[in-house]
Amino acid sequence: MASLTPTVGGSRARRAAVPFSQSPASGTLAGVLTSIAAGICLLLVVLMLLFLLWYTWPAIRYNGLSILSDITWNIGNQYGTGSSIHNGVAAEPGAEFGGLVFLVGTLLSALLAMVFAVPLALGVALTIVYRLPERLRLPTNALIELMAGIPSVVYGLWGTIVLVPWVGNHVAPFVTHHFGFIPFLGGDAGSGNGLFAAAIVLAIMVMPIMVATVRDVLLAQPKSIYEASMALGSTSWQAVTHAVLPSVRTGIVGAILVAFGRALGETMAVLMVAGNAINILPQNIFSPINTIAAVVVSQLESAVSDASGVAQRSLAELALVLFVISLAVNTIARVAIRGQDRSH
Amino acid sequence: MVSHVKRNVAISRFWWVLCIASLVGALLVLLSLFGFVFVRGIAAIRPDIFVTVTQGIAGGLANAIAGTMLLVTLAVVLVVPVGIGAAIWVTQFAPDRLRIVVRLSIDVLFGVPSIVVGYFLYVALVETAGWGFSLVAGSLALAIIMLPYVYRAADLAFSAVPRDLVEASVALGARPLTTFLRVAFPWALPGTLTGLLIGVGIALGETAPLIYTAGWSNYMPTLAPTHSPVGYLTYVVWTFINEPFKESHQLAYAAAFLLMIGIFVTNFVARAAVEYWASRTRSHA
Amino acid sequence: MREGGPERCTALVIFNEGNYMRKLTAVALAAVFALGSLAAARAATPILETGSSLLYPLMNIWVASYQAKNHGVQITTQSTGSGTGISQAIAGVAQIGASDAYMGDPQMRGHRMLNIPLAISAQQINYNLPGLNNVHLHLSGPVLAGIYMGRIKYWNDPQIKALNRPYAGRLPHRTIIPVHRTDGSGDTFIFSQYLSFTTPMWSHGPGYGTSISWPSVPTAVGANGNPGMVQACKATPYSIAYIGVSFINETNKAGLGYALLKNRAGRFLAPTASTIGSAAAAMYSKTPRDERISLVFAPGANSYPIINYEYAIVNPHQKSAQTREALVKFLSWVLDHNGGQQMHFLNAVHFLPLPGSIAKLSRTQIAQIH
Repeated sequence: MASLTPTVGGSRARRAAVPFSQSPASGTLAGVLTSIAAGICLLLVVLMLLFLLWYTWPAIRYNGLSILSDITWNIGNQYGTGSSIHNGVAAEPGAEFGGLVFLVGTLLSALLAMVFAVPLALGVALTIVYRLPERLRLPTNALIELMAGIPSVVYGLWGTIVLVPWVGNHVAPFVTHHFGFIPFLGGDAGSGNGLFAAAIVLAIMVMPIMVATVRDVLLAQPKSIYEASMALGSTSWQAVTHAVLPSVRTGIVGAILVAFGRALGETMAVLMVAGNAINILPQNIFSPINTIAAVVVSQLESAVSDASGVAQRSLAELALVLFVISLAVNTIARVAIRGQDRSH
Repeated sequence: MVSHVKRNVAISRFWWVLCIASLVGALLVLLSLFGFVFVRGIAAIRPDIFVTVTQGIAGGLANAIAGTMLLVTLAVVLVVPVGIGAAIWVTQFAPDRLRIVVRLSIDVLFGVPSIVVGYFLYVALVETAGWGFSLVAGSLALAIIMLPYVYRAADLAFSAVPRDLVEASVALGARPLTTFLRVAFPWALPGTLTGLLIGVGIALGETAPLIYTAGWSNYMPTLAPTHSPVGYLTYVVWTFINEPFKESHQLAYAAAFLLMIGIFVTNFVARAAVEYWASRTRSHA
Repeated sequence: MREGGPERCTALVIFNEGNYMRKLTAVALAAVFALGSLAAARAATPILETGSSLLYPLMNIWVASYQAKNHGVQITTQSTGSGTGISQAIAGVAQIGASDAYMGDPQMRGHRMLNIPLAISAQQINYNLPGLNNVHLHLSGPVLAGIYMGRIKYWNDPQIKALNRPYAGRLPHRTIIPVHRTDGSGDTFIFSQYLSFTTPMWSHGPGYGTSISWPSVPTAVGANGNPGMVQACKATPYSIAYIGVSFINETNKAGLGYALLKNRAGRFLAPTASTIGSAAAAMYSKTPRDERISLVFAPGANSYPIINYEYAIVNPHQKSAQTREALVKFLSWVLDHNGGQQMHFLNAVHFLPLPGSIAKLSRTQIAQIH
């Protein structure tokens, strides 16, 4: 069954159809035209990277390492006099661009989302592959894939109207009251907007991607592994946990990483439920947070009012940080999935 | 021994129940989402929202519907030649090393958060080139976001054309261009189309990259390529739910509902294309 | 051979379709751009107004009324926050940047923009305090600063009690959730000015601006625009927020309480036409020719402490004559006492009109648009 959900490393099939390579006709108009198209793709990526680097360079000089280690984000006094100078770059007085709050928020919300989503997605995928009658599989797959296509703002809308009040009025007061002795669960219950709500929304959003990938990995596995284990007298669950899952471990890790990468870069839904925290690290699981992607949207409007321009460029630098992180995660995921493809 | 087996069976059953429960749970969440959007959306849909434009925070959605359609259509027009062309080049013409470079750049594009694309175009086109918020800037943003999906589907589809079919055609003396157009292209079309439709679904639901490129407008979009901001449905969902007015909430729900319908339709068509493709593949195997 | 037949037939059809599609695409592209230039030439002059969410409700009323009689122009209004209004006006993306804040000197050095007051507005402090929303708490600058700095953590803090003797027993031991704006905002500007002018610790700390570095408060929540503030305050019990007076109808409908604020003379006042008017009257003579001045914490026994001019930030140099004409005409209408300054417009959002002397200064500035 072909998946609608694109997964990293999908286009690594062997080069099958090459009618042109067998003739000198590769110099034809078609070749030239399509090579222009490919050139545009390449140019686009290079341009965007160069642009980001060039554009953020003054911010990189101004901020140094503090973009990763400081918690204070302050575009400086726009109504004052004088300026604040670091490494030859001038910003408004008092300007400091620490991104630690956003970095921590990004990583924590994505990690917590994985804590919720991974067991759920594994359960769903295993059920689809090993438990669902054939005629229920197609509609279930269709529903799961439909879920992957729901726009971020619609998840955000649902999060704002349904999830956040539920967390703020019921979940958070209950948990902080009864389980407050556990670190990171006690303290202020807050308003419902925060790390917990963001992680739930993210978990729901990335789950379909994970289900689709794990399902495909499981289906690609020879049925004989499962059947042999069953024939040896194990229960179906033992066959899955002792025989099937170990053989697809890297593929599952890859699926988790792909989902993790998505969660890191998700913007609108998180922006709508995360609470827009600034200058403070989360105190508990219900604290308001902020993520890099969300802060780029919500702070760009403020940043552009910085006369020195450093605030805008620092925001772009944050975007660059996010870009590097998601590139790293995606690369590792691809390597993992390719390793899985090769292993059988 | 028997009790041991019994215990194992019980454990097995326990875990499977949990697995099935997670599927039921996921479907319940989906139901809650759909129910929420559909119940509130249908209640908010009035016939006149299709013909009146947004006035401040009330009015209709005609401008946003037309804007979304226009933005996505132009994005498709922009992305099709580039994405599919590049995939054709990579699968048919490219030397090994360049093929890897193009595929790598597409992988990189997958990792670019959509807000970064919007921001890039805002500084480059809206501000520096002086286009202002415009149809072309917004569509370009959507096209860049769709590009990796369209490219990858096309690459996959053209790579999957059976080798023997191509070789047979060449052996029968067909020219490469004829072979490509009559054998490879028709074979790869459904898969490519599916990728394009996935891209359309994603473009329909995008917000972040449009805020700083298409801007927003209360009026019907003109076809002016630049200097004329365009409204779109996702903006309504994002902004209007934050307004303290009932009318604006209604518009946000209606917009969310229309978006979901749009995505259902593209999803359905994409799925039908996959099935069609799969049946063709099976008939050849 | 028979088997290959239909297959080839399909292939042929698809091939032809492909060719046709490509031609169609080219024609469509050409058509889009041709129509585009045509539409651009024939359409009404577009004017983009973006920025202040405090001014937005009034802008919508103004524009609807103006558009009814002037068809040659299409004015789009957008509620994005004053910071965006200023920066998009500078960037030339918007023709009118609506702002509750005037531009700072560093910004003016880089870009000579006109700061043209259009009306007088004020800000209220709202709270969602179950059981106490029908009473008007007394609050002062230092107490608000304490709340937004996290030094005053609970609603029954002694400092709040001290200002509210009659209700001291009813103030709950609940964590205060301070709500602030995330977008660059003129409301943040005038609110932080009130805190700066009344509390040394605030002026040496966060200071004032359209976007300030908020102190670390674990429960603090950010919201987007005045509408977002109303929504957040309504949805979050025990929260406090600063919201422009143009949203009084909405805050009332949401059942939020509003505070009486301590003015320079030490009196606690609500924002009414009379108290806003007194504060404004105290500042008219001090308004400089470029009209960039804070009206916050004005002297006078009956002066409400947080009021401001609502500005249109306009680039004096407009590239197209058509745009300039449309812009000047609209702004002049807004400042006309038979136009935008009519009381029925301003009453709807609880604003006050500009007095003659200030409207004259604004008209002089509009005359500089070239």
